[in-house]
Formats: sequence, structure tokens, C-alpha cells
Amino acid sequence: MSYVSLENSEPFLKCFEVIAEDKSCIVTDSVLYFSGKTGKGFITVAGVSTGIEVLAVNVSMLTDDLTFSFLPSQNASSYILSIEEISIPGRPENELSLSLSAPGDRTNSSVSITDAEYGKLVTYPKERMIRSLIVRVQKSSLEHLIHDFDAGTIGSILQSANRVSSISWPITFKYRLLINDFMAEIVQHPFRELFTIRNISVLVEYLLQQFFVMDKLSGEGNYLSTQDTHNLSKVEQHLCVHYKKEFPGVEKLSRISAMSPTSLKTKFKKYYGDTLFGYYQKNKLEHARKLLDNKVPVKVVATEIGYSNPSHFTLAFKKEYGFSPWHYLNPH
Amino acid sequence: MKPLTPPFINQKADIPSRFSEKLPVGLTIHCWKESAGQLSGCLPEFDGKGLVLTFINYKGDLQIAVGNGQDGLQPASPGLGLLSTSNKPLQFRSSSPIHFSAIILFIPRDWITVFMKGNLNFSKIEQVLEMEENIITCRLGRRQLALFSSVMNSELKSKSNLLEIQNHALSLLEFFLCSRHRSLSAANASTGIDNEDDLSLIKEVESYISEYYCSDTFTVDSILKKTYTSYHKLNFLFKSIHGMTISEYIRNKRIEKSKEMIADNAKSISQIAYEIGYSSISNYILAFKKIYQITPGKYKKQMDSVAAS
Repeated sequence: MSYVSLENSEPFLKCFEVIAEDKSCIVTDSVLYFSGKTGKGFITVAGVSTGIEVLAVNVSMLTDDLTFSFLPSQNASSYILSIEEISIPGRPENELSLSLSAPGDRTNSSVSITDAEYGKLVTYPKERMIRSLIVRVQKSSLEHLIHDFDAGTIGSILQSANRVSSISWPITFKYRLLINDFMAEIVQHPFRELFTIRNISVLVEYLLQQFFVMDKLSGEGNYLSTQDTHNLSKVEQHLCVHYKKEFPGVEKLSRISAMSPTSLKTKFKKYYGDTLFGYYQKNKLEHARKLLDNKVPVKVVATEIGYSNPSHFTLAFKKEYGFSPWHYLNPH
Repeated sequence: MKPLTPPFINQKADIPSRFSEKLPVGLTIHCWKESAGQLSGCLPEFDGKGLVLTFINYKGDLQIAVGNGQDGLQPASPGLGLLSTSNKPLQFRSSSPIHFSAIILFIPRDWITVFMKGNLNFSKIEQVLEMEENIITCRLGRRQLALFSSVMNSELKSKSNLLEIQNHALSLLEFFLCSRHRSLSAANASTGIDNEDDLSLIKEVESYISEYYCSDTFTVDSILKKTYTSYHKLNFLFKSIHGMTISEYIRNKRIEKSKEMIADNAKSISQIAYEIGYSSISNYILAFKKIYQITPGKYKKQMDSVAAS
């Protein structure tokens, strides 16, 4: 088992050195590529001098578990945010595999925020596809990023959540897209600092939105049980993975989640802030927009994301964004 | 009984035509929207040294000038990004009716030293900025215009909205610098093609060709499918950059490769023909003869006699 432990004041670059001691990897320009017995992929570090450090991990099929441990220290004044998406590579795209994942098997993905004072242990299991961002941000610079937002709120939410040092919640499609972007471009982006700061800013925005949802949930006094959240994240994952197919229908989703249709609908809306279909549709159209950005013609996009008729796609796009794909392509 | 809902208020009327806000990351954003019969305006003054990045979009005619002087007016086009230094204000003038909107980002000097320090790409841009009379322009793409309009239409009421504006502004800034960087590295000034999209398309196609031109299943159609362009457009671009059509370009590449392979003297002519993707040898010989005015067999003999002597 590869184990990397870090003092809180140590730079992320140190984990590089630790991992690079294993001879099976190459370090170039703050990117660490590895192949062979430790799996394929890369780890990269982007240091931003305002007290934000990013460690991006993009590996598949590790032969060993990989663990990062952030040692607790009393005078640490930073938060550790981590988004991780762990999936089984080459999984056949049928819903049978959804039920195969046992509860102990960590294929679930999550977003979490931790006060560095208490330390944090991040483990990536072997033989999985892992894409994750670990961001260490100074408390002061987080306030700097969101100076209008009540800066104490994050702390107080962290405090109020039963005195736990860390909150985590399941990943949503927005985070997935963020990670996708980050992994695709970070290695060769000409303005890496700017790219990083923009993505972190977006990440903070999403986190805040999620905080509002959490706040509302706890205000209404209804936490969901872990079983429920697990089931809901299964549904969410199903919706995200199968965005190219037709909307599966509440019946089928309720079977996946082992809940009644009504309670699935209400709980999903509470947890993800959107209806089942709305969530599915937003994810789908966001993928469509990505394709349009890559200059793919509208007709091709429509079939690509699973519409049989381009005009249906146009209607849906217009409803979501307020302008048609054609206008998106031709703004002038 | 249900309480009566208040009448729907059109919130768009509340948006001030100009507002200025300091973004959490340290940039200052200034939005400016105007519909008038005539326009004569100047960028707002910013305290301190730094760079000013202005994005404009409008309907009508517009002219831009640098500095305070009356001369040096240049016609502009909608959907443009302009980078200038903060000590030389930009002026916008129009004598006909115009719908004008602009987002002005002020990037302070110390922000640049924090985020751009040591970035080679940025120092290149700064050098150009000094040379090109204090102004660099760049056309916005569709994604950027969508961001632009969403910033213009957003309301500065809730806090998370400010963050959204910040994210959009950072995206715009990043886009500007990246596209500028790309056009600097693609120093193809002589071809007359200055469209960013076209240049990147050509690059993509060229790299695709150089990767696959030896495979026998490779066709021009497969390029078209991959890049979603039309044959005519691609041909036009290739003609203006390389002076030949795309199929000629591919053929030249293949034949050049085969010439090298003949010189290596490790394989027979027919083997080479199959390896570079020709399905019949006579086609290959014809193509070779067309370019070098000699058949590959004779060429091989020549090379052999050179090697022998």
C-alpha cells in the first residue's frame, strides 16, 4: 500500500517526491505520470500563491491502494476540499451493475470539506478509475474569495453538524463536468494559474449552493439516513451515466433506489434541489452545450445526446437556456 | 385563504445602466449598457496601474480611439475584446443610433504579479502590448458571448450572484489570454487567414493527417466527419495556406515518406506502396512520377548507384 502523509504546512509538491520515489513514474513540469505496476494516469500540482493548492489525481487501475494523509495540527488555518469520482473502469452500461456494488465497496463519489485542524485521510482504492481534486485553501483566502458571503458560515455549519470536522455529500453532475474539464486541460493549459483560480472559484460557487441546500435541510430538521443518501446517489449516478438514453421513468428509478415513487421524488428534490427529470435534462443539455462549444453541428449534437428529432432538442435547449442552439452557434 | 401574491415586477427595469463592483478575487468589474441616438464615451478611470480588458458588443456603428486625442478613430466590430493599459483610456464614439454594452475588467498590477508572474505566455503578450500601440483585440466566440450576455443581464442582489459574475469574468479573461497566446504561437501572418477558429481547425487537421496518412482506411471523408467541416471550406483553407488542395497535400506527404523509405533501401517498391496506404502499385508509381518526374524504380536505381560509387 502506498502511503503519503503530509504535515499541514508542507507543500503538496512533497507528495510528488514521495510518490516519485517509486521508480515506476516520471515527473515532468509538476506533472507526475505513472504507468506499469501502479496503474496509468497522472497526478499534478498547481500552486496558486494566494494560499490555494490543488492536487489533481487522474489514475486508473492502481495495483495498490493509495492513501494521502493530512496530519492534524492545532494551528492549521485551512480547509481541505476534495471532490472525488471513483468508478469501475469498463463497466458494462446496464443497470444490473448498479445493484452489484456492495455497500462496503467504495465506488461512490463525493464532495467533502474538512477543517485541516482535524486532519484528513483520503484513500483511493485499487483497480478503480479515480479522478479527484484535493484543494487546500487557506481560511483567509476562502474568505477572500467569497468576501460578501458571511465568512463564518462555513465554519459554523462545520461546527453545527454534530461537532464533526468534515461534511461530505454525494457528487452532482456539475462537479463531474468540472472535474472532466480540469483533467482534460490542466496539463497543457498555457495559463495554468488563471485556469486553476477560475476552476476553484467555480468550485466555491457550487459548494456555496450546496451549503444553502444543507442549511435548508437542517433547518427543516430532516436529515436523510445514510441508506437513503446511498440510494439517492445510485439514482443520481444512473441519471448521469445514462444521459444518452431516454429518461428511465420514475417506476424504474424507484426500483433502483428501493423507495416508493413518491418518497423518491420528494427526497430527491430535497437533496439535489431539482426534480428527477429536471436534473436529468439539465445534465443532458449541459453535455449538449459542451458539444456545441466544440463546433459540432446541431443535428449531430441532437442525435449524439439521444434525441431522435433535432427540433425536440432545439425546444428543450431553448427552454433551458433561453436561446436556441442555432443562436448559440451564431451570436452575431 | 391564500395570501395575495404581489404583482409581477419587471426586475430588468431595476438594472442600472452602469455599475461597478469589486470582485472577490481582486478584479474590478464595470458594466455599461446604453441605448442612445449618439454615443461619445470614455472608459471610467481606474486608480492605480494595471491592465484594462474591455469586452464590447453593440448594434450599430462604433469607432474606437486610444487616448484623449480626436484622431486615431478606428472602426470596431461587435463582439470584441480589447486589452489596453490603464493609463491610456479608450474612447467610444458613434454618430448613429446604437445599442451598446460593455464589460470592463480592471486587472491591477499586483494581481498580475501574483497570478501571472513567471508565465512566459503572458510576458509575450505584454511585449506585444507595448509594441501594438497599447491595444490588443480579439474576437469573442459564441460561448464567450453567452457569458457576456449573462453577466449583462444578471442582477447584483444575492451574494452567490457576484460569485457567478466573477466566474464568468475569469472565463472571459482566460479566453482572451488563451486565444491571444494561440494566435501568437501560430505565426502564420502571411496567409491572410486571421480567424482563430480556422487556424485551430487547420492545425487540428494537419495533426490528424500526420498521424493517420499512412493507413489505408484513411480518407478525406474521415477528416470531414471528425472535424465537422465541409470539403469546400477545408480545401479553401488548405489552398490559402499550403497552396494546394487537401488531397494533394496528403499525396505529397505520402510520396515524401515513400521517398525516404526508398532511400533507406530496406523494402521493395511494392512493399512501400502498400505501407503508405496505396492499394495498387501502378497508382503509386503514377503519383510518384507526377511529383518527381521519375519512376520510383529508376529513383531507387539512382540511389543505389550513388551509394555504390
